[in-house]
Formats: sequence, C-alpha cells, structure tokens
Amino acid sequence: MSVSTAAREPNVFARIVRHRADYLYIAPALGVMLLVIGYPIYDTIYLSFFNTPPSLAMADKIFVGTDNYVRILTSEAFLDVTINTLIWTAFSTFFAFALGLGAALALDRQFVGRGLLRGILLIPYVISAVAAAYIWRWLYHSDFGVIGALAVASGITDRPINFLDNVDTSLPSLIVVNVWKEFSFAMIMMLAGLQTVPEQLHRAAQVDGAGVFQRFWHITMPHLKGVTLVTVLLLLVANLNSFTIPWIMTAGGPAGSSDIWITAIYQLAFERIRFGVASAYSVILFVVMMSMGYFYVRALTGKDEATPG
Amino acid sequence: MATFDEFGGLSSLGRRRLLGAAAAVGMAASMPGAARAATAPAGLDTSNWTPEYIASIAGTMEIDTAAECAKVVPLNTKGRVTYWYVGPNQASPQIDHRIDAEFWAAFAKTYPNITVEKQNLDYNQMLNKVRTAALGNAAPMVAKFPILWGVEFAAKGQLMPLKPEDVGFGSDEFWPGALKSVMWNGKSYGIPTNNETMGLIWNAALFQAAGLDPEKPPATWDDLVLYSKAIKDKTGKNGYGLVARTNAGNTPFRFMPQLWAYGGGALDEAEARPGYKSVYLNNAGSKAALQASFDMYVRDRSVPVSALTNTQNENQDPFISGQLGMMISHPSEYAFMLDRASKATGDDKKTAEMVVANMRYGLVPKGPARRAIVFGGSNAHVFDAKVVDGKLDMEAARALLAFSTGPEWSTKIAWTNSNPGNLRGFRTKWMKERLETIKFLNVTTSMLPSGIPFPVIPESGEIMNIIVPDMLQNALTKKMSVAAAADDAARKVKALLTSL
Amino acid sequence: MRARVHGDRGWGIARVVFLALLTLFTLLPMVWMLLTSMKTQFAASQYPPEWWPRNVTFEQYFILLSPANETGREFLRYMFNSLWVSFATTVLSVMVAVPAAYAFSRFRFPGRNLLFYSVLLRNMFPAVVFLMPLFILMRWLHLVNTELSLILTYLTFGLPLSIWLLKGFYDNIPAQLEQAARIDGATRFQAFIQIVMPLSSPGIIATAIYSFILAWNEYVYALTFLNDKSKLTLPVGLQRFFTEYTTNWPGLMAASFITSVPVVVLFLVLQKYFVRALTEGAVKA
Repeated sequence: MSVSTAAREPNVFARIVRHRADYLYIAPALGVMLLVIGYPIYDTIYLSFFNTPPSLAMADKIFVGTDNYVRILTSEAFLDVTINTLIWTAFSTFFAFALGLGAALALDRQFVGRGLLRGILLIPYVISAVAAAYIWRWLYHSDFGVIGALAVASGITDRPINFLDNVDTSLPSLIVVNVWKEFSFAMIMMLAGLQTVPEQLHRAAQVDGAGVFQRFWHITMPHLKGVTLVTVLLLLVANLNSFTIPWIMTAGGPAGSSDIWITAIYQLAFERIRFGVASAYSVILFVVMMSMGYFYVRALTGKDEATPG
Repeated sequence: MATFDEFGGLSSLGRRRLLGAAAAVGMAASMPGAARAATAPAGLDTSNWTPEYIASIAGTMEIDTAAECAKVVPLNTKGRVTYWYVGPNQASPQIDHRIDAEFWAAFAKTYPNITVEKQNLDYNQMLNKVRTAALGNAAPMVAKFPILWGVEFAAKGQLMPLKPEDVGFGSDEFWPGALKSVMWNGKSYGIPTNNETMGLIWNAALFQAAGLDPEKPPATWDDLVLYSKAIKDKTGKNGYGLVARTNAGNTPFRFMPQLWAYGGGALDEAEARPGYKSVYLNNAGSKAALQASFDMYVRDRSVPVSALTNTQNENQDPFISGQLGMMISHPSEYAFMLDRASKATGDDKKTAEMVVANMRYGLVPKGPARRAIVFGGSNAHVFDAKVVDGKLDMEAARALLAFSTGPEWSTKIAWTNSNPGNLRGFRTKWMKERLETIKFLNVTTSMLPSGIPFPVIPESGEIMNIIVPDMLQNALTKKMSVAAAADDAARKVKALLTSL
Repeated sequence: MRARVHGDRGWGIARVVFLALLTLFTLLPMVWMLLTSMKTQFAASQYPPEWWPRNVTFEQYFILLSPANETGREFLRYMFNSLWVSFATTVLSVMVAVPAAYAFSRFRFPGRNLLFYSVLLRNMFPAVVFLMPLFILMRWLHLVNTELSLILTYLTFGLPLSIWLLKGFYDNIPAQLEQAARIDGATRFQAFIQIVMPLSSPGIIATAIYSFILAWNEYVYALTFLNDKSKLTLPVGLQRFFTEYTTNWPGLMAASFITSVPVVVLFLVLQKYFVRALTEGAVKA
C-alpha cells in the first residue's frame, strides 16, 4: 500500500470522475470531520497571532505576530509544564502498556472464568473519567482517604499520606489513576495481537527446548511489533490529550505541580481568558501531535507489510 | 452548600467611603462616628446603623410591588426574557427553594404576558459559561452576577448601560459601595440585588474540649492560629477550615480578610481612596498573613491537609460531624446545618443536633491593621444586544429588573444568606420576619462596616482566583518560602496590570 | 481461543499472583466506592474511616433514583439525556463509518490513502483545544444548548477508530463473495448490504459499543455546550453533584456507581465482539 498511488496515475481528474460514486460512501464521514475539525483548526491558528486581554472584547483583539509563541516558549512556566507533561505521558504510557501486556500474556490461555476476568479488568477503561477521578480523589483524600488511613493502620506511616496536596506526590498519584484507567486498553489490544501469533511456531520452539523467555522474545514479540507500535502511539496521544482526570483531581495544583499542557491551555483559555496565548499553546501542541501522527500513520502502513494476513 | 461568597465580590468603593456612606451596621463602638456621618440613603439613618436600629425600622413600611412595577413597565406588557442566575441548589436550605418558587410565581402573576426562560447555574461553572456565551453571542438578556464579575464584561462592551433610575428606583436606595461596583469608566452597568458579609462560626464543644472559652471567638488572627493548634492538639480534630484551592471563589473570600487584617492586600483596595495601581501583595502585612497560614498548615498541621484541593463545600460535612472547629461562613450556614440535622438519622442525628446546639457566630478576627471581611453581594446586568442570544427584549428585561430589585423581592431572595440590595427592604415586614427567625443574622450583618470590596478592575478575577491562591499554594507546599511566594505573586500582578 | 502450551510451573504461579494483584488493583477502588455509597454523610467524614459501614444505608440510591424528589428527577433526567445522546451518536457513527470503511477497503479512488489517514489524524487533536472554536461554530449553526451539538462532536471522536476497525474487517472479507452476488444480478450497493454487512456484524457491534462508551463518558464538551439543566448529561451532572450539593461523598460515590453500571454491563455482555473485532479486523489486517 503506498500513499502515492493516486499521484502516479496519469490522468487524476479522469480517475476522480470515474470513481465519483465512490466518494459518496465517504462523504458523510468527511463532511462531519471537515466541519468539526477544519474550522476549529483554522480559527485556532488565526487567533494564535492575537493578544486578547481580559479587558478587551474579542473584536478588539490586537495583532501581535508571533509574540505569543515567543512568550510561551521562553517562559519558565512552560518548561515546568513541559517537564510535567513528559513525565505524565511517558510514565502513564509505559506503565499502562507494561501492565496491559502482562495482563494479556497472563490471559492468553484457556481457563475457567477467563472471559469474566478480562471483563473485570476492563471495567476501569469503560467507566467515565469523571467517575474515576472522583473515586480516586476520595481514595486519596488527605483527611478522610482510605489509602492514607490504611497506611497508618498497618503502621507504614504515622500520619495519613498526603497524596494530592503535596507537590512531590500529586503528579505520580495522578499517573497511578491514569494507569488504572487505561491499562486494560493496552491489554485488549495486545490480547488481540497475541491471537495472530501462529501456534505451531510456539510448539516447534518448545520441542526445540526454548524457554518461556526465549519463546516470548523470538516468537511472540516479533509478531506483536505492529500492534505494539499502534497501541503505544494511541496511548501516547490519549495521555497527551487527557484532561478530565488531572482537571477534576487537582486542576494542575498544588502550586502547579501537576499542571500539564492540556490543563495549562484550559486554564489560559477559560480561567484567564487569554484565547490568543491559549491558541498559540494549542498550535504548539498540534505540531507535537502531528509529528506523532506521522509515526502513527507510518506504524499503520508499516504493519500491513510486516504482518502478512 | 453553594457558599455564598460567590455572591460576594468587589465593589469599587474604598472601605472608608463604604463605611461612611452606608454600611455601618452595628460595630458603632468600634468605629469613630465621624467616619460614618454621611448621606442617608432612602431616608435611613446610617450613622446609627446598629442591630437595634435595624430592628426598629423593620416592618415600618408597606410595599406594593405590582404598583411600583406598573409605573416602570405596564403590567400587561407582552414579551420574553432570558435570565441566568445562581439560584438555590440541593444544598440550600429548604426555604430558599420555596422562596425561589414563590418569586417566579409572583412574577408570572404580576406580568402574566412575559415569559421567562431561566437558567439556574452552578456557581463554580457560571463565570466560564457566561464568558463563553458572550463570546459566542449566546448570552442571556439578563443575568445576576456576584459583584466581582460585572466589570470584566462591562470593560469588554458586552453589557448595556444600566442604572437604578432605568427601572424606577433612586440611586439613594442602594449602598453607594454596591453602586460603585457596577461602574466602569464612569458609567453604570448594573443594579445591586443584595449585599452581605460573613462571620466566623465555631463549634463551642470543640472549644471547650480544647480548654478554650467556648463562648468567645479568637479576637485576633494570631489568636486564631493558637486556637486552631489547641483544638488539633487537644482533640485531634482540625481547628480552622482553611481553603486554598485555585479558581474556587471561596479561597480569596477567606484569605483576603486575613491579608487585610495584617495590613496587606492585593492592591491598595483596603485603603481609604484606592487607586488600584500599587501592589500590596508582598508588603509586610501580606507576608505576615501568609506566614500565619503557613504556620497553621505546615508548622502546626492544625487545618485540613486537603485544604489545597478543597473548596469551602468540603468543610461543611466535617463541621457538622464535629470534625472541624472553626470556619468563615455565611449566616445561611446555620439554616443549612439545621436542615441537615433535621434530615439525619440515628447516631448522626444526635451528633448533628449537638453541633447545631454548639454552633456560635462571631466577628471575624482582627489583625494589627484592622478587622476586615469581603464586602459581597450580587448585581443584575443586561447584556448588550449584540451578544444576546436572539433579540433583546428591553421592556421584558426592565420588568424583571424592576420586580426583582425592588424592596420586596430583594429582601426575600436574600432570605437566609444576604441582605436586601434595595435599602427600603430594611423597612419591610419581611426584614422583620428574617431578623426574628434567622439566628445570627445580626452578627453577620454587623460585619458590614468591616466590608472591603475587591478591586474594581477587569483583572480582579485573575488576581483573586488564580494569583492569590497560587501564592498560598506555593507557600503551603513549601515550593517557595513565604517571602518568595509573596514576591512572586506581586510580580505576577504587576505584570498583569502593565501588560495592557 | 486456542489453548497454548506453556512451560514451567513457576510461571504458572507468577501468572496467578500477577492476575490476582491486578484484579485487586482494579476492583478495590470500586469496592471502596460501593462501601462509601452505603454510608451516611456523617460516617464518610470520619477519621479513621469506618472500614465497613456501621449503619448500612441505601438512602443515596433512593434519592438519586426516585422521581419523587428533585435530585432524583434531575439525576434520572441526566441519565435519560446520556442515553439519548449516546444512542444517537452510536447509530450515526455506524451509519457514517460503515460506508466510509467499506469504500476505503474496496475502492481505489484517487486520494484514498490521503483521506484515510486524514480521518485517522482526528485522534491527534486534543478536545480541549477545540472547545472555543467549536462553541462558536455551534453557535453559528444554532446548535448551542442542544444535544445535537454533542452528537455531532462525539461523532468525530469515534469515527477514526471505527473506520479503521471496520476497514480491517472488510479487508478480510473476500471480494469474490460480492462479485458472485453481482453476477447474480445484485447492484454493488445490494451486494454490500446483503453480503458484506452480515459478515461484518461483529465489527459493527464493536464500533457501536466503542461509540456508545465514548459518548456516554464525554465530559468537557458537554460541560461547555450545554447550559440548560434539563439537558445535561451524566458526567456533567456528576460534577454538579459534587461542586454544588456540598461534598456529599456517599452521594457522589452512589452516583458514580449508577453512572458506571450501564456501560459496564453493556461491555461485559458484548466484550467478545470487541475483542473479535480487534483480532480479526484491526490487528490482523
């Protein structure tokens, strides 16, 4: 499959006309996409070149060129938020994937109650992030939280652990919630991937005396390459974009310790009503996302070649 | 409950002027008389604004709301008005729900041909919603805001000029301080609906258990720090209900009084003639106040650890279950707790009734500089036709405003949590009924002379809801030293004020 | 699923321990949610907490689910709204994704790859960034404060994965089947409806579940686009419950539980389609 099929065609226009009925099939999807995505992208890029202070109406916004970009990229807060974002994204993705892969491997055999167990593990993934955020906020509660109380009751600490009201622990605490919420997405993807590993290869390798690790590394993993790439990329994108959990639990606090790009953008746009700067921030995020999108597409196309049938 | 600080906010009046002109309720002894001698709104004697005086005028005036309204907008007027407000919610005392329903029934009876499309919004979401709506030309025709909010929309040209005279009232029927809060660039953009201040509420049983005088609140903020520690040390319960979440209205409403008491401030809003130009956030007073909070949160651990993620809402359950000693609160808190106690069952009922019996109201502590509390309330505004969703029906809007900001309904709507914006309301029989039935109303009302309005500038929201709470969080998490956190916040405010 | 030959006993034990721990990690938070929801508000604000509710009460559930009081009416209303929005989104998603995925799988029109990947890139755009421009767009379309604004937006969330999933499915269905049908006189569209659709039903069911869950759980847009209390969906309603109705933790936990039940049940019942769709469609390709 090659992206340049159409380009190689001598008479593109004639082909388009010949295939005009085909476009009817995708027209609804494209129409919705263009409307709900095309316009916002245009508007965001346009606004990113303006200053929109709270004392001015939008109509009176001031053109400032690339000023917003310069200001964001050179600010100290941007560095802090970027580091938080990297930590959040990298750790969430890593642990969600690792747990998900582990769960998939553990579930990849027949046993009684397997379907039920898989279903149970998927519950956090399907419940709403708002509910998850509140459940964990309550578990973590610095005064009445059960985790802190358990730690005291079991003698681990002498006072309740302060998870969310503490600059050192707020971000890791949120990552745990995020991993809880999405590890089973990785699990189900990898579980599906495992089904594509030919059984005969495993048997043959076992006959040859290969151990569990060797079989995993030399037989299972190569087959999972494509799905791994897609899963990791989907997790990365989801984590870079995740808003509800950090917002409801700490709103970026305390003292900015759990502020990530998305929460910073929301705060700029909706609490400090700086749409211009917020838009510029968003465009920067777009650029990062698009470069990841490039790898995403590459992973999808590459997979077709890597895994036959 | 939906903490009514949200109804509080800023008025442009300097404290002295506020005191002088109007609000000197009670506290006569603590205020030099000269400061209060001034105009007499609506024929009221504000120089003698004591609980006794308020009681003596209540019930002396008969009001015919329909007749008053008829003079402004004929009662048979046909029309449609859209209206957004923070109305009663599940946490409000039952009576607030009843009055809200009565209000709409009475309006429908008075103006049978005007349809109202009302949205009762959640306070914590309302500001963002209104901003979004105004930007997208989807604003309501009329809205009732906490007084901190109006100026931002006025500055953006999204509000219609509006003054009491437009709906048949005289400007002398409202607190001058409240009227100032709707001014932007010398023009008026709203009508005050209600004004109030808060008090300190405490659990006398916990005071007793901590070896403190159960009937006396801490006199100064320094004492409050000691009281909080005593409660924590002796009973294991939290002492003072500190809140420090960002962008939750309640944080500045509880922290600014402390800041002002020590001689600090965001800008010079606590001064007699504020210019809103000089930054006070890192002066000695502000730093002392921040240090006091630091001492409670970090050194003594005498306040809820969850204060950084909590809003005032989250102090209520601990308070009524006897887990929290003191908090800054509205008079409605009592009605609310009473409601809660009546709904509790079994052991809980006993606990709740004990707490209610032990609930005490007093003045918010003093500091080295002054006793202070946020001068709060709400204003009604009309949005400019160009940002309104649909066609602005000015006649219907005026009818609703005349009806709701008059003496009768501005008194009734404020029933448990505030005071009438229209000063004639103080003379009505409904005011009399309130004074007789709402315990502690006189205490919080007597805090009015100590009321200081937030700065009346469009940037006020960001200063109060973001920069000040951030300063608290930076210090309380030890991310910065107290002094550094104050300096950092002051730098941010300066940058904000000079940026445009 | 195929049985797999696996080695060492040690690994078997490690597997069981790992699964047990993972199950605890998954379930314990929800157990605490349930326990808290059965406490009184007073019992919930105690330290140390009551490990087991001393006075078990279902009061919060009665309040939330009984149409006799205001909270209950509101909550049921939110639930109905969520159902309606999610259902409409699901139906539309399937109607839009099925033909698109089919076209991407079968037809060789110019720009096919480019368009396919553009659709997939939808996932790259953070929802929060689009709030304001989309709000203005919805306003322009006169859709603010309507459920349609949400349905339209949610449609685009689910489409990329749905189209991708379904395309994988169609890729696996031999084209000869349709050709045979067409020789028998069916039009291309008829062949699609009669032959391809039934064969791809697991993919369609998976797509439907996926869209339903996305729509059911979405929060930010619902928060921004809707003002009218009577139109709110559950996640926003949940938040109202917290911010406005004091900090009623038992009530919030009960509401979280009730909110989760429909999607969890739906997913548990239909999960095999989801796994199958991933296996036979997307992953295998």
